[in-house]
Amino acid sequence: MITYIIKRILYMIPTLVLTSILVFTLIELPPGDYFESYVNELRAAGETVDPKLIEFLRTEYGFDKPIWERYFQWATGMLVGDFGYSFEYELPVREVIGDRLLFTILVTFVTIIFTWLIAFPIGIYSATHQYSWGDYGLTFLGLLGLATPNFLLALIMMFLANEWFGTTIGGLVDPEFIGQPLSWAKFVSVMEHLWIPVIVIGTSGTAAMIRRVRANLLDELRKPYVTTARAKGMTEFRGLMKYPFRMSLNFFIADIGGILPTVISGAEIVAIVLSLETTGPILIQALQSQDMYLAGSFLMLLGFLTVIGVLISDIALAFLDPRIRLQGGVSR
Amino acid sequence: MSEPSKLLQVDDLKVSFKLQKGKLDAVKGVSFSIAEGEVVAIVGESGSGKSVIAQSILRILPKNASIDDGSILFCDPKANYKAVDLTSFESTDDYLYEVRGGRISMVFQEPMTALSPLHTIGNQVEEALVLHHEKSSSDARSETEEILRLVGFPDPARGYSMYPFELSGGLRQRAVIAMALICNPALVIADEPTTALDVTVQAQILGLMKELQKKFNTAILMITHDLGVVANMADKVVVIYHGEVMEAGTVDDIFRRPQHPYLKALIAAIPHFDMKENERLVSLRDTDASGLTKTIHKLSSQFRAASPENMDGPHLKVENLRKEFVSTKGSWFGAGDENRIVAVDNVSFEINRGECLGLVGESGSGKTTVSKLIMKALEATSGSVHLNTGQGMKDVLGLEGRELMDFRRRVQMIFQDPYSSLNPRMTIQNILNEPYVIHGLANENSQQDDILDLIRLVGMESNCLNRYPHSFSGGQRQRIGIARALALHPEIMICDEPVSALDVSVQAQILNLLNDLRKELGLTSLFISHNLAVVNYVADRIAVMCQGKLVEIASREQLFSNPHHPYTKSLLSAVPYPDLDRLLDFETIKYTSSVEADDWGMLFKPSAEAGLESIRVDEGHFVLANCNCNPSDLRAL
Repeated sequence: MITYIIKRILYMIPTLVLTSILVFTLIELPPGDYFESYVNELRAAGETVDPKLIEFLRTEYGFDKPIWERYFQWATGMLVGDFGYSFEYELPVREVIGDRLLFTILVTFVTIIFTWLIAFPIGIYSATHQYSWGDYGLTFLGLLGLATPNFLLALIMMFLANEWFGTTIGGLVDPEFIGQPLSWAKFVSVMEHLWIPVIVIGTSGTAAMIRRVRANLLDELRKPYVTTARAKGMTEFRGLMKYPFRMSLNFFIADIGGILPTVISGAEIVAIVLSLETTGPILIQALQSQDMYLAGSFLMLLGFLTVIGVLISDIALAFLDPRIRLQGGVSR
Repeated sequence: MSEPSKLLQVDDLKVSFKLQKGKLDAVKGVSFSIAEGEVVAIVGESGSGKSVIAQSILRILPKNASIDDGSILFCDPKANYKAVDLTSFESTDDYLYEVRGGRISMVFQEPMTALSPLHTIGNQVEEALVLHHEKSSSDARSETEEILRLVGFPDPARGYSMYPFELSGGLRQRAVIAMALICNPALVIADEPTTALDVTVQAQILGLMKELQKKFNTAILMITHDLGVVANMADKVVVIYHGEVMEAGTVDDIFRRPQHPYLKALIAAIPHFDMKENERLVSLRDTDASGLTKTIHKLSSQFRAASPENMDGPHLKVENLRKEFVSTKGSWFGAGDENRIVAVDNVSFEINRGECLGLVGESGSGKTTVSKLIMKALEATSGSVHLNTGQGMKDVLGLEGRELMDFRRRVQMIFQDPYSSLNPRMTIQNILNEPYVIHGLANENSQQDDILDLIRLVGMESNCLNRYPHSFSGGQRQRIGIARALALHPEIMICDEPVSALDVSVQAQILNLLNDLRKELGLTSLFISHNLAVVNYVADRIAVMCQGKLVEIASREQLFSNPHHPYTKSLLSAVPYPDLDRLLDFETIKYTSSVEADDWGMLFKPSAEAGLESIRVDEGHFVLANCNCNPSDLRAL
């Protein structure tokens, strides 16, 4: 098991190197660079730019060097935690992301937990009461949630919250707390704002999750070992939890690899509508303005989280499922 | 001895399933009773409702089924034989939870799927105990290990913490039996407990059940389709057909004095070892054969024209065939530990023109792999396969391109599973047309006639051509599979367990059909099966395989009357006959079973100086034995 984990981690290295090369190539692909679009922007605004200054900045940031040298600098920098410099914010990338990352992780994790709390009981109910009115009703509600565009729901919620509770629910904290250290008052304010994005982002995920829990559980419920458990004298609920439910968890653990990247990139549009101080909007902005180090670091982070997520789900699967732990490796 | 008291009394039980359209009566008024410590067998074909009866007793029927009428009285010896009607409770009643697993338990057919793959054997067996008795965990564990030892686990402590997929099928079924017995129930319902097992393992499991049944004085309700198992296990028999009892009585009455025509027909449909040459199985429901015989004669000349006229020597010759499978223990860098499994080891045989060679062996013996190697579906590691084309022997394994296509036309296969070997998205017309298309023989005009001939050849009507496979029964699908294999007028037919998924009555029809076709069309065939009686019915010569090796090959009569190899002997002695005068000897099976190569005598084991070799003991009778041994020693055995 330990050698498996070590091997698995070693295996991540070439994957990440390849990802970084790919990311770097991608952000280099569009013609021009940040300075060009910066100059264009200034010109469009009717201002003049000193070409010498631009030239100076270019050398300063190493843009005159060959591409592979810049890649090497960027890649090795990341190893020691230096993600480069954001031209647009005129700050190191780390500082631009740092603050918002915390909020993003908060929103996403609460959303994920919200999704699970709702989706699992409903999914189990739907599967054990297949084709009942309850199943149809909950399925209908779930599909409604799936079909409603998130940003629309966000707008409606914003309007309703303002009408009924009188709170402005944009953002994640009241404006006066921005930049403040964490305090009880700030925490309360965060909680006050948090539920709207959680519900908005959560609904579609919940609906999809209900469907998957239901489908997976239905598959398992037909298996003979469920009958075995009943013939042993197990009550329906205990048997359900111990056998088919546990079997149906596999898909969901395998899913963790897909969930982690959404922690920082998920729900950009909702974040823009609700003006949340999360990382999503920054990523979009950075890509638009060719703020290459910021965008590159973001994409790299996404790649890293994906790889880590897959690692976590693989290890968790091996722990939970003896078939994966003890078998396997058979080929040809 | 006084009359044993009554344990279970089923009266006029009626069970129906709610379907989308209307209602299906699965059990229509069945009555029988079981006394304490008695073994009662319910015999029937698939769909007869026998499993439904079992599930009704435990009240674990599927949700769309309901008990409409009748009663199931259970007189628990532990509750002073007070009769309780199990149908009078809600299925979630506390009393029923107590009965299930505690007083009445169940052994299932498929030991792999009946156990959860995620929990250890110990956990699952112990659970039944913990659910019904308050036990400390150390007590529960020692009791569980004790019962595992009783059912024959060689190392119970280790078995306790193993997972089902780490065990062989036989051990898994032993675990399921342990699970059923751990609470010392009054009645064990065994639903086809040995159907999924190999014949030698089946004999051991049946012996174990009988032994434990005597030891604990447990009653067993045995549900099975196999009359051989019934004859060996049961005291009383209930024969059921379409949810109704056809005949019931003691095992003696049933086998010696069968009354009902259904039962008589059922007994006649089973192939047995005392059949004379050219004796036919009497199938339960004979299909209309007039169209069939006409078409056979029509096609017979076509088939004979397609295969080579004059032939010297064998039609197919297999020499020293070997196949290794390599598994690598997970490693991404470097080779890792390679684990070589020899699936087929130095197998040689010949099949003469028009002959049927039966290939017998238990699961994992490599018999299917041999067929795949001959078909060139797998690459052989070494050895050769030669096909006689009339102009000399052609090396099959080296064929490529056009020659390979021609070979594929000559050799066709009939598969085991009639459900998954037909594409559900193709009509029968398309399925039968496909071989012509693949071989570029599609011809607008004569095509339809050929397909019509084919479908009549296997005893079906032309109106089925536009339907899809799902609308046919298992037997009909197997007929379609046979028609497909015959489309290209092959010379050699490889049948891989063609009847093992079918009911006894349907099995008889298909076996008769295969026999007729083979004889009339002059086909050479290789018939693979685990069922010795079936092989005995169709084959001229029989080869026995064990662990990749061909241990004995002989003509039908020689093999059955005078087997030499210990494996062949144990295989023959493990077959349950539907005959009360030839019961299995469970004691000898338990102690002298020679399934493992280690138990074979010195004569049959390789020694330091000499390996194994096929030794001729009689005309056409070869046994795999030590090179140095004297053939007369073998004959003396």
